[in-house]
Amino acid sequence: MTSPANEVDEIATDEATHHSTGPSTAVVSKSPTRIAMERFRKDKLSMTAFSIVVFFFVAAVLAPILVKTGVLDPFGTNQDLLNEFSLPSGKWGGMSSSHPLGLEPGVGRDALSRVWYGITFSLAMSISATIIAIVLGVVLGIVSGASGGWADTIIGRLIDLTLSFPQTLMLLALSSVLVTFISDKLHVPSGNPSQAVYVVAILGLFGWTGIARLVRGQVLSLREAEFVQAANLMGASRARIYFKEILPNLWAPILVSFTLIMPTFVSAEAALGYLGVSIGPPTPTLGTVLNDSLSYADTDPLYFFVPAVTIMVIVVSFNLLGDGLRDALDPKGNR
Amino acid sequence: MWAYAVRRAAIGVVLLVAVALVTFVLFFATAANPARLACGKNCSQQQIKVTEKALGYDQPLYVQFGTFMKGLVVGREFPADKEVRERNPELVTDCGPPCLGYSVNVGTTVNSLIVQAAPTTISLAVVALVMWLIGGVLFGILAAVYKGSFIDRGVVGLTLIAYAFPTFFIAVFFLKYVVIKWEILPYPGYVTIADGGVFTWFENLLLPSFTLALVFMAGYVRMTRAFVLESLGEDYIRTAKSKGLRTRPVLFKHALRAALTPLVTMAGLDFATLLGGAIITESVFAYPGLGLLTVQSSSSFDLPTIVGVVLVAAFFVIVLNILVDISYAFIDPRVRLG
Amino acid sequence: MKLRRTFAATAAAALGATILAACGGGGGGTDTNSSGDTESAKGGTLTVLQHFPFESTDPQRIYYGVELSWFRRLLYRGLVAFPMDDSNEVVPDLATDTGTSSEGGKVWSFTLKDGVKWEDGSDITCEDVQYGTSRVFANDLIIGGPNYTLSYLSSLDYPGPYKATAKQQAAFDKAVSCSSDNKTITFHFDKPWADFPLAAASLMMTDPYKKSFDQGDKSKFKVLSNGPYKVEGGTWSKNKGATLVRNDEYDPSTDEPDKLRLALPDTIDYQIDPSDTAGELFNDRLIANAPADQTAITTARVAPSQFPKITGSVEDRYQNPESPYNDYLVPNFNRLKDVNVRQALAAALPLNDYVKALGGDRSATASETIVNPALDFPDNPAFADDADNDGDPDAAKALLEKAGVQTPYPIKLGYSKSPTMDKAMAVIKEGWDKAGFDVTLAPLTDTYYDVISKPDDDYDVTWAGWGADWPSAMTVLPPLFDGRPNISSTTCGNDYGCYDSDAFNKLVDQAAEATDVDEQKSILEDADKQLGEDVAYIPLEITKFNWLYGSKVTGFTTTAASSSYPEIGLIGVQQ
Repeated sequence: MTSPANEVDEIATDEATHHSTGPSTAVVSKSPTRIAMERFRKDKLSMTAFSIVVFFFVAAVLAPILVKTGVLDPFGTNQDLLNEFSLPSGKWGGMSSSHPLGLEPGVGRDALSRVWYGITFSLAMSISATIIAIVLGVVLGIVSGASGGWADTIIGRLIDLTLSFPQTLMLLALSSVLVTFISDKLHVPSGNPSQAVYVVAILGLFGWTGIARLVRGQVLSLREAEFVQAANLMGASRARIYFKEILPNLWAPILVSFTLIMPTFVSAEAALGYLGVSIGPPTPTLGTVLNDSLSYADTDPLYFFVPAVTIMVIVVSFNLLGDGLRDALDPKGNR
Repeated sequence: MWAYAVRRAAIGVVLLVAVALVTFVLFFATAANPARLACGKNCSQQQIKVTEKALGYDQPLYVQFGTFMKGLVVGREFPADKEVRERNPELVTDCGPPCLGYSVNVGTTVNSLIVQAAPTTISLAVVALVMWLIGGVLFGILAAVYKGSFIDRGVVGLTLIAYAFPTFFIAVFFLKYVVIKWEILPYPGYVTIADGGVFTWFENLLLPSFTLALVFMAGYVRMTRAFVLESLGEDYIRTAKSKGLRTRPVLFKHALRAALTPLVTMAGLDFATLLGGAIITESVFAYPGLGLLTVQSSSSFDLPTIVGVVLVAAFFVIVLNILVDISYAFIDPRVRLG
Repeated sequence: MKLRRTFAATAAAALGATILAACGGGGGGTDTNSSGDTESAKGGTLTVLQHFPFESTDPQRIYYGVELSWFRRLLYRGLVAFPMDDSNEVVPDLATDTGTSSEGGKVWSFTLKDGVKWEDGSDITCEDVQYGTSRVFANDLIIGGPNYTLSYLSSLDYPGPYKATAKQQAAFDKAVSCSSDNKTITFHFDKPWADFPLAAASLMMTDPYKKSFDQGDKSKFKVLSNGPYKVEGGTWSKNKGATLVRNDEYDPSTDEPDKLRLALPDTIDYQIDPSDTAGELFNDRLIANAPADQTAITTARVAPSQFPKITGSVEDRYQNPESPYNDYLVPNFNRLKDVNVRQALAAALPLNDYVKALGGDRSATASETIVNPALDFPDNPAFADDADNDGDPDAAKALLEKAGVQTPYPIKLGYSKSPTMDKAMAVIKEGWDKAGFDVTLAPLTDTYYDVISKPDDDYDVTWAGWGADWPSAMTVLPPLFDGRPNISSTTCGNDYGCYDSDAFNKLVDQAAEATDVDEQKSILEDADKQLGEDVAYIPLEITKFNWLYGSKVTGFTTTAASSSYPEIGLIGVQQ
């Protein structure tokens, strides 16, 4: 997006999305956004990914309702359906019409309900964390790129510092301390709310650096653009220039970043669940269900594969969607 | 160039001190009482106090940090109690600079723990790096050359799927199926080159490194593919081709060269992160490297070791960052440092 | 006992995997299971597959149950030791007899046998025992081990051999004194210690240690053996293990090999793999029984998820004894002040479903008291009356009504996190919710016991586990429920519920004064009844162990003396 030709596009985008109330006098019949949309629609792979993502979102929103109405039951135990080793009786992990994906070993809760309800919590946490990361990244990126000088240096060093920490270790070792801190000092209800806040906060706090660098680069190139120069000449305040003039031009990279950061957080939640840091029982998340399933690799393969494959499908479809969006919005760019 | 390197190194040192400070504050302000853990299960309050004093946790935080920083520069001697050292010279452990502290849990200096663990982690990281670089670049080129074909989609898709499965799931799957059930590979356990020779060393590294490589490969395939595609469309390549050069030399000499800078950046940073210890892979496969050391020390609240490993990990990241930046000057003559 | 959390989320049988506790003993509960094959030829190499690292191999620092009992057989002989059976009777080991006591159990003396030697060929002397005993007092350097001797010699104010002044050292040498021939050690305790020989056999706090070998922390993984084996190279590798070879200086004629240690294999190869998955994989290997693993045993229990694979010929190589470890729930007395509410919790507990969630009958046995059956202790009538263990929501509701509390009554249930525990606690939640409670599960990680012992924590009920340090209820009831040594302003110690009852404490004092072990036991039975009436704890289960071993392993047995782990002193391998 650094070529001069593209800047024209950017301005056009700006007008198309933010000043569309006025009648368009342009001779061009299609806005760049519409061009991008058409391009995106033509790409079968991206559209498939998009449908899957929508499917998961709908599923995630529906799950709590289905649980309330009793269609899904992620909590009720069925120990009578387990054999003497506390494993599901029958073939395929206790698969039956009432339990299409079988049962959880030990207590016999319905596996489909656990995974489905888990999607709700995993997606909710990853989306919240992504929003935090993006807000942090965009604000710091704009400030850094716009101001230059010492603010730029400090934010640059902050990025270096964040990247220098071994994150998994910090997450692990600090979990008990910080969860206590969150519930005691920040007055978040202890237990699951605090755990969720911790996971979301820590993912967000470690995840903003990439987008900050991206935004900084964009700002650096945009600040020489004509419309910014014009605003400057007209005496607009700096805050106004950056958040009113430049920010609206960044929606495309932000959208792409969102679809690419989010799946990494879904994976991260799973890893945290594996390490014992996630929302507590009996509430399921994909991470905690997967963690439990690992012991049953050969004695209950269905239960072993279901949560992992679910995570895989979510991560792959989000990535494909992100790629598709990027290609559609910025056909010349590569990364 | 030298001035640049020196300046970067100076900033690196400041960063390291900041990392040490943040880690120190975060970990030493924890609710857990390491003295109580160390003391055992039937400790009276008074005994816990004695242990606390012996471990130095009774001092204010800034004093502990000061002692730690001093140890980094001039070294330290343990046990910390001077009286005990003077009366029992046979107990003294000398910890020369840069002294990272002393692990009471293991009864040795943090330096020696790290020196023991580092070769394992380095072996793992190097083999994984080679695997994903070779795999990533070759598959990336393959995908670019056959753009749009089923080869392209297959390569990109499969590496993406491998990336999308959680690491520990892949590791457990390998162990449970490839090793135990299908008996394709022996159960991996770290063997040094000195003990088992290069082949055994490598054979045992195969699964854990491959697990790690799968995590990273997708990114490299996509990047290589993108850059090769882009440069295949560039004028100079078209010129080279039109001059009658065969496809392969053009690919490797020109197209790949464009991908080199971003590849080096990415590989350098990923490698640096791995050098700090691959926590999940090492703990699933029991590779006694820095990652496993981290997990063990954080589960036993061995604070000096945790701080030591964090610092070493940060050191790797910072140093490799500097090296990557400097290497630009060699790869791409247009880059000027200063 | 502490359950150290490894990050082993996959270890379904995580309970007690790394329990800090010593030996249980006594008849009754545990069966002496023998693996039919009695052919016990000497020689060969036994492989030990161990799934966690030892914290130290220094005798005065060891506190792992299995490490104490195995090293007693292999490397470190004690003054006295438990024989390889369930008898609960100590036999002389380095000493000539099981100790003579005087002054009502306050003074104990032991005389060392002739010809007992260290692996370097030097004689084991009384001074070595004295020095070993003194090291425990240096709790700034020798940390992690059991330190009961401190409370029995607290009048000394002795800081250990490294820091003591000449006067302090002289006082200690008088309290723990050696005869002029350097053969007889005499302990002069502050108060009676009726079962001291049991403690000396179980733990290593009064084991000999050679002063010239002591390098403080540097000796943490060094081994100077006096048993039938020695560590090759002299140093144990924390994450790798070691190879044990025969100790030429060990003279079986000074020992009673049939009772204490057969020492059949020529070599014992310890292979440590501290990974998350090691325990399960070791057992997968033993199920597969490949040639290299046919002479192997393991410290890792079979995970419940692997039970279906133990069939046919694999089942012949499998044993399922009860362990000396009990789990229980602790009501928090700072929060649940009404005894009716506590009784309602006990009444509504769905213990059978809980056991099933842990993996069924192979994983656990429902228990009616906190004291392990290996200690030959009766069930607590307060819990045994409800014999079916299915949980009775109606009775619980009636009790809550009697208490006059508002339902649903909120309960925050704290426990140490693992996937299996998450499920088991979800079952308890379901049962209690039915009875008019509203349970919130609060899994904790890392410093579990630190958190739940805080007096101002907001857990209503917490899960805990315990095993006796030596076969006496004195190492169970007083440490867990006597408020006086436990409770301070910052912690309730091992008395997690902050229970403090004068009636109970009085019984504990009587038991401590008792000069006779049987009298002591009957007083403790009354004390346990008191705990039941107050619902100071709600018993959960006796953990069961699941052991597999290779097809060429002979003499595989578990005993009370080995904490229900494999009795390594009897094990040999077929050539």
